[in-house]
Amino acid sequence: MEDDVRVLLIEDDVDAAEMYRLRLVADGYRVVVAHDGVEGLRLAADEAPDFIYLDLRLPGLDGFEVLERLRGEAATMHIPVIILTNYGEPELRERGLKLGALEFLVKADTTPAQLSRTVERTTGPRAQPSA
Amino acid sequence: MESGRDGLFATPQPGEPFGRPPLVVLPDPAPRFGSVDDDLREGAFGFYEQAVELVARVNSAQRPTCAAVFLKLFDDVLTCVAAHDEAGIALRGPYRVAEHPDFGRAVESGNAFVGQAVAVAPVRAHGVVVGLLAVATHGLEFGSEQSLQLVTIANLIGFRVALDATFREFQKEAELSRRLERLKSEFLNIAAHELRSPLGIVRGYVSMLREGTLADGDRDAALARIGEKSEEMAHLISEMLETARLETLSLSLSLEPVDLHAILEDALNTVRPLLGIAHSLAVDRGRGAISVVADRARLTTVLTNLIDNAIKYSPNGGEIEIRLDRDSRVAIIVVRDHGIGIGAEQIPMLFTRFGRLVTPETSHIRGTGLGLYLARETARLHGGDIVVASEPGAGSTFTVTLPLASVTG
Repeated sequence: MEDDVRVLLIEDDVDAAEMYRLRLVADGYRVVVAHDGVEGLRLAADEAPDFIYLDLRLPGLDGFEVLERLRGEAATMHIPVIILTNYGEPELRERGLKLGALEFLVKADTTPAQLSRTVERTTGPRAQPSA
Repeated sequence: MESGRDGLFATPQPGEPFGRPPLVVLPDPAPRFGSVDDDLREGAFGFYEQAVELVARVNSAQRPTCAAVFLKLFDDVLTCVAAHDEAGIALRGPYRVAEHPDFGRAVESGNAFVGQAVAVAPVRAHGVVVGLLAVATHGLEFGSEQSLQLVTIANLIGFRVALDATFREFQKEAELSRRLERLKSEFLNIAAHELRSPLGIVRGYVSMLREGTLADGDRDAALARIGEKSEEMAHLISEMLETARLETLSLSLSLEPVDLHAILEDALNTVRPLLGIAHSLAVDRGRGAISVVADRARLTTVLTNLIDNAIKYSPNGGEIEIRLDRDSRVAIIVVRDHGIGIGAEQIPMLFTRFGRLVTPETSHIRGTGLGLYLARETARLHGGDIVVASEPGAGSTFTVTLPLASVTG
């Protein structure tokens, strides 16, 4: 559907990506998954997602580099990005927020339902799950 | 001996400042010579000044024409760390210095030696002669009392030298333990993050199961993931415990005669589910039984770790070759991948406890780095070893050797 809210997950852990995808899809979002930073940038440009969840530890380009490049491109600079990572160090959090991430979430402390609600809070009411 | 120079010290020439470097006669060819630690030199220099003052006091207020502290820093080569010129200006060494017969006599007797215009006292640190204090004046008149004072100052220098050495030793140990502490906390940090990723998935699926947001088919998949991730956490924790046991030497093997083929099958059963579509296994079982006396579970873990490692470090996929072999003495297991390989400079760190190699190519790869450390330690506990050959970009070959159960077998 054209007015679907599209979420891009940039996450190299296949199992984690699949879990978040299941929950977001159940809540009516359209989800695309990128398993590394380069693919993430490509999908961000091609798919024009409404929202991006970004892991920090990624093969090739790490999450910070991806965020910087997203912010440097006119087409992607306004897409809300939330960092979703296993690392909770305050200096990483600060760096991420400074680079323009909306929030910084630690995976082990964030349930898939919370992820979904965060998307909703940011992008507004979504279309109902399609039958 | 060069003309114009007399024994230990150069003979003063009219109009020539006494004792400028070279202060002392240098044999030809020159002996080996190294550098002198700055702190040590400064420390010795302080006492040296006291020695000069003493000589001035006891020797009719006449300052020595030349004095020097020598420390025996390199085997048989004495190094002059401080000296004094005729104008009363103290010179900081190091200068090279020859072996001198007077030194030999002072060292042998352990007493101050007063020769013609030269007084020498051994410098001792921790009971060992580490140098000599030498003083020269025109018309030196040293009695036994002055000799004793010279010896006292030499002892003070020795004390300072010993103190310095002890302090440096202490500093080295403190630095080492700081480094170990840092590595330990880095390791704990890595381990905590490694536990967090499976934990996040277990928690996530549990929360989804509770909410009832999963479709029927997805529920089974969720339970399977929860099972896998729990296993992964259990494995991580047992690796850490094994490491702790190795460190406290409380790890004991349950040895039994076992065929390597059985261990290979156990390991293959564990790793097959981990294989993605990108990786394949090529197994060469060799011919005939290969009997070793081993802790079956631990040796299986060794092989599992090596195969798991080969998979992880060939992110673009490819064939993992596993080969069993033997020669007349040892059983051989080879695990070869065609992955990213390891740089020569990183290999020495590879099997160490905190040897996880984090490079731009590997920073996203999971693991505590304990697997290889445990693998080699386990092989060594069995009387064997693990070695690696690798070429960056071309892959790595790990070779395990284990003693055969019986040489006639």
